[in-house]
Amino acid sequence: TAGNKILHFGACRVSMSMTEIRAGFTAIKANIQARDPIRTLSILSYPHSLHKVNSSDRCCITHHLFNFYVDKVFKHCKTEDSYVNRKISSIANSFLSIKRKLGQCHEKNQCMCGQESTEKFKQILANYEGLNVTSAAMKSLGELDILLDWME
Amino acid sequence: SGELYCSLLNPRNVRFESINMKNVLHWSAPEGTGNGVLYRVKYSVYGVGKWIRKPECRNINRTWCDLSSETSDYEEQYYASVKAFLNGMFSDWVETTRFNPLTDTKIDPPMVSVSSTDKSISIILTAPEKWKRSPEEESKSLLQVYPGLQYNVSVLNKKTKKRWFFSISNHTLVVPWLEPETAYCVSAQIHITTPILDSGFSKEYCIATSKDKTEA
Repeated sequence: TAGNKILHFGACRVSMSMTEIRAGFTAIKANIQARDPIRTLSILSYPHSLHKVNSSDRCCITHHLFNFYVDKVFKHCKTEDSYVNRKISSIANSFLSIKRKLGQCHEKNQCMCGQESTEKFKQILANYEGLNVTSAAMKSLGELDILLDWME
Repeated sequence: SGELYCSLLNPRNVRFESINMKNVLHWSAPEGTGNGVLYRVKYSVYGVGKWIRKPECRNINRTWCDLSSETSDYEEQYYASVKAFLNGMFSDWVETTRFNPLTDTKIDPPMVSVSSTDKSISIILTAPEKWKRSPEEESKSLLQVYPGLQYNVSVLNKKTKKRWFFSISNHTLVVPWLEPETAYCVSAQIHITTPILDSGFSKEYCIATSKDKTEA
C-alpha cells in the first residue's frame, strides 16, 4: 500500500507502513508528550541513544522494541480522548503486523541477538520499570518518533 | 513588614521556529506589558536532567533566541524555557513542547537552474543546506540528513498552458520532445516521505527553447 517501505535488516526484509504510522503519531504527538512531565529520563535514549547501536544488532533490537510496544506500551495508553485512542490503536495494529514479520525473521535465524542488543534492551526495560506502568507507557508512546527516526 | 510579592504574567506562545534546522526560540511578551520586559532562556536535552542557561539570551529585551547551535544534534530532542522580568517582578518559566529537529523543521524549496536546446530543457535541482555554525564549517546538504528526499517538478508550457508533473529522486531532469521557440516555466518542491516533510514550491524559472535546428 502507499507509504509502505521495505526495511532491510541484513537477510531480514520487512515491509512497514511507515508513512501511516508517522502520520498517526504526528497527529497525537503533542497530546501524548504533554502527558509526560518527566524531562529528565528517556525510555529509549537513556543513557545511550539508539543511534549508538551496532548495525549488526539492529534487527534484534527492532524485534525486541516492537514486542515491547505491543506487549507493554499500547495497552496501557488509554486516554479520555476517543480520537487519540483511535490513532493509538491504528498504530498498535501496524506494530502488531510488523512484530509478526520480525518474529518470522527471528525464527529463520535472520535476526540474531548479540550481547549489545541484549544489554541495550535490558536498559530500556529498566527505564520502563523505573516508572509506574501508565507513566512509563505514556512516555514510551511519546518517544515513538525516536524509534521511527532511528529505524529509518 | 510583609514583603510585597507580585508575579509577572507569563510569556506566551513559547515555541521553536525552525527552517533547514536553524532552530530559533520565539515567544510573545506577557499580556499587557509594554517595553522594559527582560527575558532569560534555558534549554535541556530530553532525557538528560540538566537545564542549561543560554548566556547570550540573559536579560534580553527581544522575544527570540537562536538555539541552533545548542540543538544541532538532530538525533536528540529538546525543550526550551523562557522567564520574564520587569521592575523586580518575574514570571514562571514557560516551556516549549518537545522539539524534534528532524521532524519539526521546515524545509526551503530547492534551488532550480534550467537550460534549453531546441526541443528539450534540462533542470538541475539543489537541496538546501542544513544550518551551520559558521561559513567555515563544512556544509551538509539536507539530502544527507534525509536520504529519502525527492523532488516534485512542475513544467508549464506558457503557450498552451499545459503542465507536467514529475516526481524524481535524482537531482537532474531532462524534459524531451518539446516545441521549439516556446517558453517553459519550471518550479520544484522537496518531498520527504519519512518523516513526512514537504517544502513549498520554488518560484518559477522560465526559459525558451531555441529555434528548430532541423529547419536550418
